[in-house]
Amino acid sequence: MNAFVRRSRGLVLPILLIAAWEYTSRQGAAQAYAFVPLSSIAQGFSQLLASGELLTSIVASLQRTCSGLLIGALAGIVVGAAMSVSTLVERALSPLYHTLRQVPILGLIPLIALWFGSGEGAKVLIVSLAAFFPMVLNAREGFSHVDKRHLEVATVLELTSWQRLIHVQLPAAMPAIITGLLHALAFAWVSSVGSELFLSSGNGLGNMMMNAETGSRMDVVVIGVLCIGLLGYGMNLLFSRLGQYLLRWRGSR
Amino acid sequence: MTQSLADIDTRPASQLRKPVWLALVDRGSWLLSPVLVLVLWALVASRGTFSPQLLVSPGDVARAFDDLWHSGELLENLRFSLSRLGIGFALGASSGVLFGVALALSRTVEAYFGPLFQTLRQIPTIALIPMFILLFGVEETFKVLIVTKAVFFPVALATSEGIKGVPNRYFDVARVYRLPLRSLIKDVVFPAAAPTIVTGLRVALTRAWMVLVASELLAADSGLGQMIEMGRQMMRIDVVMVGVIVIGAIGFALDYGLRLLEKRLFRWQNT
Amino acid sequence: MMNAPLKQSPIAPAAALPGALDIRNLSKDYLIDGLPLPVLENINLHVQAGEFVSIVGASGCGKSSLLRLIVGLEAQYKGDILLDGERIDATSLERGIVFQDHRLFPWKTVSENIAMALSNLPLDKADKARRVTEHIQLVNLQGFENAYPHQLSGGMAQRAAIARALITQPKILLLDEPFGALDALTRVRLQHELQRLWIQQRSTMIMVTHDVEEALYLGDRVIVMDARPGRIKHQVTVDLPHPRNRSHPRLHALKDELLAELVSH
Repeated sequence: MNAFVRRSRGLVLPILLIAAWEYTSRQGAAQAYAFVPLSSIAQGFSQLLASGELLTSIVASLQRTCSGLLIGALAGIVVGAAMSVSTLVERALSPLYHTLRQVPILGLIPLIALWFGSGEGAKVLIVSLAAFFPMVLNAREGFSHVDKRHLEVATVLELTSWQRLIHVQLPAAMPAIITGLLHALAFAWVSSVGSELFLSSGNGLGNMMMNAETGSRMDVVVIGVLCIGLLGYGMNLLFSRLGQYLLRWRGSR
Repeated sequence: MTQSLADIDTRPASQLRKPVWLALVDRGSWLLSPVLVLVLWALVASRGTFSPQLLVSPGDVARAFDDLWHSGELLENLRFSLSRLGIGFALGASSGVLFGVALALSRTVEAYFGPLFQTLRQIPTIALIPMFILLFGVEETFKVLIVTKAVFFPVALATSEGIKGVPNRYFDVARVYRLPLRSLIKDVVFPAAAPTIVTGLRVALTRAWMVLVASELLAADSGLGQMIEMGRQMMRIDVVMVGVIVIGAIGFALDYGLRLLEKRLFRWQNT
Repeated sequence: MMNAPLKQSPIAPAAALPGALDIRNLSKDYLIDGLPLPVLENINLHVQAGEFVSIVGASGCGKSSLLRLIVGLEAQYKGDILLDGERIDATSLERGIVFQDHRLFPWKTVSENIAMALSNLPLDKADKARRVTEHIQLVNLQGFENAYPHQLSGGMAQRAAIARALITQPKILLLDEPFGALDALTRVRLQHELQRLWIQQRSTMIMVTHDVEEALYLGDRVIVMDARPGRIKHQVTVDLPHPRNRSHPRLHALKDELLAELVSH
């Protein structure tokens, strides 16, 4: 079996499923309601593009994810580093952290909605929190496993505390931070969509889908799902590549 | 040798012995910050700077918990939520394990189902909530199915990874002893892959709990999520807090419980 | 260039140069599980400025601990360690050290690693760049300025570590089994390079090694230490001119003497 045939076996099932979907949609009005024909999905797609709604939604979701990720990840790195360096901070913050971590972010949404309303700020806060928690753990891991031998070299070279942080501790913790970043990204993306589903004011892919659900527009919902999947995958790829570049000093592992 | 020297404690002996009271304070200090937060919370709430819609005192939350418990409302909602979780988990885990085994052991299955599986796995479960609502309505089916989806993929992945991670040596030994397939799976593959699989089950359970609460928040007439949503709509923040705490507690209990199970089952592992 | 014959000339350490080390009644305990373990006991050693002293001895913490005390990584000890009359109680750029594991920062290139040593020296950028280039040439790593440590062989990485230690022009350079992790061929090459560097730089150098031949080839004096607790057992003076010839009969004789001393009791 040559390589082409081997790889295209993976496509058999998807194609069959799509064909089954299309077939079901033609069985009658009731089925077409749920399993919308592919043609109307294509139509819906061009409609969304033309009206600009798709682009606006995508941009809004991405923007929110990125701001939340940035805030949450930075805060997470700072707190994680502080926890690994100072026993006092660890004692003070660790119990709180572990308690709060038990509540899933999506469960905190109603509380946050009550306190901060349902505007953009509340959503970015939710995304930041979602990114914060995994990052703290990873950053703390990273900073507490800085090789003591490298720290000795820093002492021998008379580096100041700041130089020590920037030139030794941060780069040494970077692999763990990148891992944390990828986890934080996944959580941020999911919670961004989640916050849109729940707080349905404003723009975003989640909003788009909620509105479509109310209006029984399955075609828009399908497009939304596809976009969410693709964008999530794409962002993960992007950040992975970024991570590989930042960690290029590691060589092959 | 220099490596160990960096770790050696070179303080004089007199500094190392700690008085008893200090050791006690040491242990107790772990509780300090949560207690502090609680006290602060109670203080701020009693000042009345925030309206009762924004901030209620810990006492009010405790009272709300009491009410909900005694009226049976909390238990009933819990029952609904947990049963959905249970059924969905059972369905998702069993199908996930079966599929994971097939995926790991059969190249054909991997070739035909693999790519689709990996693609669908990327789609976050909550993104599917609107779609599932349209397809299955807002009744029980939708909630159970969404839990099933949330559980199936991580469990199938963990199973497949766990089995693929079984060292080839074990298969060789099995072949030498000519173990039949059933025995191979039961006595060799499963025990070796079990730790990874159980970890996958644990992760899937906590994720499923999260997804269930989310779907109940969005569309339900019963369950914890719905209780919270009602509380929010009626501006009863004490009810919301009770709900949030209970969610956290159950999530913790599920996770902790499975961790304990892991430890007991896998005592032979020296991690 | 590395293998070109060096001029044969007796070079005596100049007494006027800074870098004289005075160790008097040095003792050091480590605490293992709360109990004191004596690691060094009553060490007395005087190293003249510009001298190369080798220390050999059985495996044990004593030799490395001595170096760590001199470089200032351990601050608590009994007795005196004086560099040009000043007591040592902390690290300083006047004292450099090369470890057995090169300890280059994996996330920095060779140039960046070497330049790290200049972080807190009052030099401007151009001067720093010039010094880095000079020292890269000094250890024959031209062309590898932008390489990461994982791309270097063990010998090359160790050369970079030596450059990093020398770039601050320290009064005294300590070497803790610098070539112990390298293969025999690389070791011989690097010994030759180290000798060349020492002849050029003339800083005081103290090297710990378990290789007796290496100790004799490089050192003006070889100290033999006993372990548990660390004490100075024996000393030989190598009164041969630098650069040395490995096959000199005197070196062989001294080697036999040292080995006998090491093996005894």
